[in-house]
Amino acid sequence: MHRLLYPLAATAIVALVSGPANAAGYPERSITMVVPFAAGGPTDTVTRLVAESMSKDLGQQIIVENVGGAGGTLGASQVAKADPDGYTLLLHHIGMATSATLYRKLPYDTLNAFEYVGLVTDVPMTIVAKKDFEPTDMKGLIEYVKANADKITLANAGIGAASHLCGMLFMSELKTALVTVPYKGTGPAMTDLLGGQVDLMCDQTTNTTKQIKGSTVKAYAVTSAKRLDALPDLPTVAEAGLPGMQVGIWHGIYAPKGTPAEVTQKLSASLQKALKDPNVVSRFAELGTVPVTDAEATPAGLKAKLESEVVRWKPVIEAAGQYAD
Amino acid sequence: MKSFSFSSRDLICGLLFIAIGLFFAIQAYGLELGTAFRMGPGYFPLVLAGMLVLLGIIVIIQATQVEHEPMGPIAWRGLLFILPAPILFGLTVRGLGFVPSLFLTGLLAAFASAKMRPGTALLLVGGLTLFSVVVFSYALGLPFRRFGPWLGQ
Amino acid sequence: MDLLNNLALGFVTAGHPWNLLFCLIGVILGTLIGVLPGIGATATIAMLLPLTFQLEPVSSLIMLAGIYYGAQYGGSTTAILINMPGESSSAVTAIDGYQMARKGRAGAALAIAAIGSFFAGTVSTILVAVFAPPLTAIALQFGSAEYFSLMIVGLVSSIALAHGSVVKALGMVVLGLLLGLVGTDIYTGTPRFNLGILELSDGLNFVALAVGVFGIAEILRNLENEHERDVMIKKVTNLWPTREDWKEMTAPILRGTAIGSALGILPGGGAILASFASYTVEKRISKTPGAFGKGAIAGVAGPESANNAGAQTSFIPMLTLGIPANPVMALMIGAMIIQGIVPGPNVATEQPALFWGIIASMWIGNLMLILLNLPMIGLWVKLLTIPYYMLFPAIIAFCSIGVYSVNSNVFDLYAVAFFGLIGYGLAKLRCEPAPLLLGFVLGPLLEEHLRRAMIMSRGDPTTFLTRPISLTLLLLAVAVLVVVLMPSIRKKRDEVFVED
Repeated sequence: MHRLLYPLAATAIVALVSGPANAAGYPERSITMVVPFAAGGPTDTVTRLVAESMSKDLGQQIIVENVGGAGGTLGASQVAKADPDGYTLLLHHIGMATSATLYRKLPYDTLNAFEYVGLVTDVPMTIVAKKDFEPTDMKGLIEYVKANADKITLANAGIGAASHLCGMLFMSELKTALVTVPYKGTGPAMTDLLGGQVDLMCDQTTNTTKQIKGSTVKAYAVTSAKRLDALPDLPTVAEAGLPGMQVGIWHGIYAPKGTPAEVTQKLSASLQKALKDPNVVSRFAELGTVPVTDAEATPAGLKAKLESEVVRWKPVIEAAGQYAD
Repeated sequence: MKSFSFSSRDLICGLLFIAIGLFFAIQAYGLELGTAFRMGPGYFPLVLAGMLVLLGIIVIIQATQVEHEPMGPIAWRGLLFILPAPILFGLTVRGLGFVPSLFLTGLLAAFASAKMRPGTALLLVGGLTLFSVVVFSYALGLPFRRFGPWLGQ
Repeated sequence: MDLLNNLALGFVTAGHPWNLLFCLIGVILGTLIGVLPGIGATATIAMLLPLTFQLEPVSSLIMLAGIYYGAQYGGSTTAILINMPGESSSAVTAIDGYQMARKGRAGAALAIAAIGSFFAGTVSTILVAVFAPPLTAIALQFGSAEYFSLMIVGLVSSIALAHGSVVKALGMVVLGLLLGLVGTDIYTGTPRFNLGILELSDGLNFVALAVGVFGIAEILRNLENEHERDVMIKKVTNLWPTREDWKEMTAPILRGTAIGSALGILPGGGAILASFASYTVEKRISKTPGAFGKGAIAGVAGPESANNAGAQTSFIPMLTLGIPANPVMALMIGAMIIQGIVPGPNVATEQPALFWGIIASMWIGNLMLILLNLPMIGLWVKLLTIPYYMLFPAIIAFCSIGVYSVNSNVFDLYAVAFFGLIGYGLAKLRCEPAPLLLGFVLGPLLEEHLRRAMIMSRGDPTTFLTRPISLTLLLLAVAVLVVVLMPSIRKKRDEVFVED
């Protein structure tokens, strides 16, 4: 009997002793950062850029693991269940907040299952249309949409996608209902927009900047507070008279509940350095996204953001009446 | 003409089609059907499930016209050892880690053959594990833990 | 003359020693990955993405592209040798290629696949270079109505995949379509047929299904009569294609290349149909349709050429629009973004060295592949003489690793076991797995485009008939159906040629 128990007990003791004590020497081995989406997507790109820079600073490799599925909730629940030792992290975007409402049966408690490391970046959205779409500016677009609501098709990349959230917000701000056309991902949606098969879409600058610059789509506004360096001619939604449309696809790094505060603090400090890494800054700029400030790249900054965003999206999603389960 | 005979193979096949079709139909019936403009999630599957049932019935009708051939032996030993192998890998890869988990999986699968001797199996699977670790873990850099937490690390 | 200048720039870029090296690494890795059962190009590129951080953008993309078409070559090898397709395209190659291998003609089958792929790769690379922009414009004309009609043509044609009962083949297609719908409805987010299992919310994993119904089922079948057969094949007859083989494969390769090039351009499903469509065409116009499914040379040559041509032309939408035609292209776009190049309509003008370098490297890579693969054929065929009981534990182990590496999801491994059982049962019932896989791939696309076309037309089904491209495709489907449903015509033809 005790032969079986001994290694178990030893493991338990080692775990107890080593848990907090190790925080000082953290990290001693490679860290896994889970991205809850497929490799190659915008969130994956953000993760890999940040992880590479943080690896250099921490002196340990950060392995990016793609655990896609169910709108990011599969990856998130995997991290929620992981050992809270700082060696399993999660980089998730705004979906962390919206899935709290979109999914009525989540396998984790959004606000209580994680420790926070910090916000990473805020990717703005752009309102774009097929290139021969009639309205020429945002004001014209608003009038045109209100007058022809039942003739206009609005694309999105699937339930819970950034384009879906932005589309819902657009319709709720304009108090109108367009014919929404879901796609499986941003690629096919953009294809149909380029081919003129569908009229309107609101999507992340990561996907639209090149198309806007190449004049293959018509752009109306950007949903950030300030104009973007990458697209200086594009007015903001506030300038166009729709301040409520201000929305960004924010990304944050989380750790499982119970991860020592020393560890999250250390990671947060490393994240702040990564966000000033010239390579990260320039790549982010090319994508039309801006790293957050030091104050936001902290546990408190992410906690506040997540809590306010859960509250913000609840009524918008409930009003649309579409759930992901 | 052949004398009247009945293919049990086709009968089972037809019944299987009907059973699967009914399963999907019942599931689809609980979903919203929608309209032609906005088809619901149940519309298309229900149509397909109906088609599968219909095809199952045709297979059964044809079963009476086809001359039958024997089903042949069933690989019981294979079923017993091959099918659990990937399941074992799934159950242990996170806990035991890549190396021991793969070794056990290969060993289990090896015994699906009556010809496999224990010595040969150990040697073969050992080599296989070594090859896989070199190729997948080191060369390709798959993010697997080589030895998992169940082994104390 | 612009074209020549551009191509020269491309070859100078791709011919740089470093880029040649990375191209070589890419095609070797791709071949290796393709040959190992259960691991596809998508998983490999996803795994290797982080490595490309350290490389120059051109080098990394050349390497990733090399992995992609290298894996296509390697994947056919596994399909032919052990009846285990790693990608939907090689599922078709497995039908006749594996039968050729069992007859002792594995060498010829592998050579035919390699030669066909090389020819198709050469032609389609030229197509990419010359016609990329105008072809993109045509691809953009395809809306959901057109895609739906295209899928219908594909499904109607799939009946030709059957070499037994047509009704059972249709049943397998429908079953595949239904399995493809498991997961979450993209229009409403409603979960369907997932039995309450969270891991199924994104549907069944293609690799798990293919490995199960093809690979595991085949191993079980081989274990049935263990005592009768020690090795896969007893004797290997002529390793290389004979003069008759050359005659037989030329026309299918030409047709396969044309079909693959055309369908590869269409984003979202075009390239998937290429190998299936080619097989159908070859079987329909063959003088000996009865030979298909029993090791017909045209059944390997056509689909293999189509599949490789489609793989090359699927770069067109990505290079000219920044739109991914398939998951591999999505990963390549990810790789570009990591490198600071956002793919879009301006890549060709802003980054000419990159754009033309990739195109030139495709041809160089294909050349490397054939030089690499032809001498390997002898080795592969030797592999078949290893006692089977030594071979299959390795196959099971590689499949497990491969399936797990796609999503790091253990559930997919349980799915392999489940579909292995199902696949074995279906094989016992003489139901063929290839139509099932086609249905599985097309199911979600068919529904997606049907529903989207109906939304766009506000519920008017005549949209499929009033759009000219869609109408043409539907008429083609009817024509195929008429040919299939007139067995009298076929019988007469068979009789005619029996007398030859």
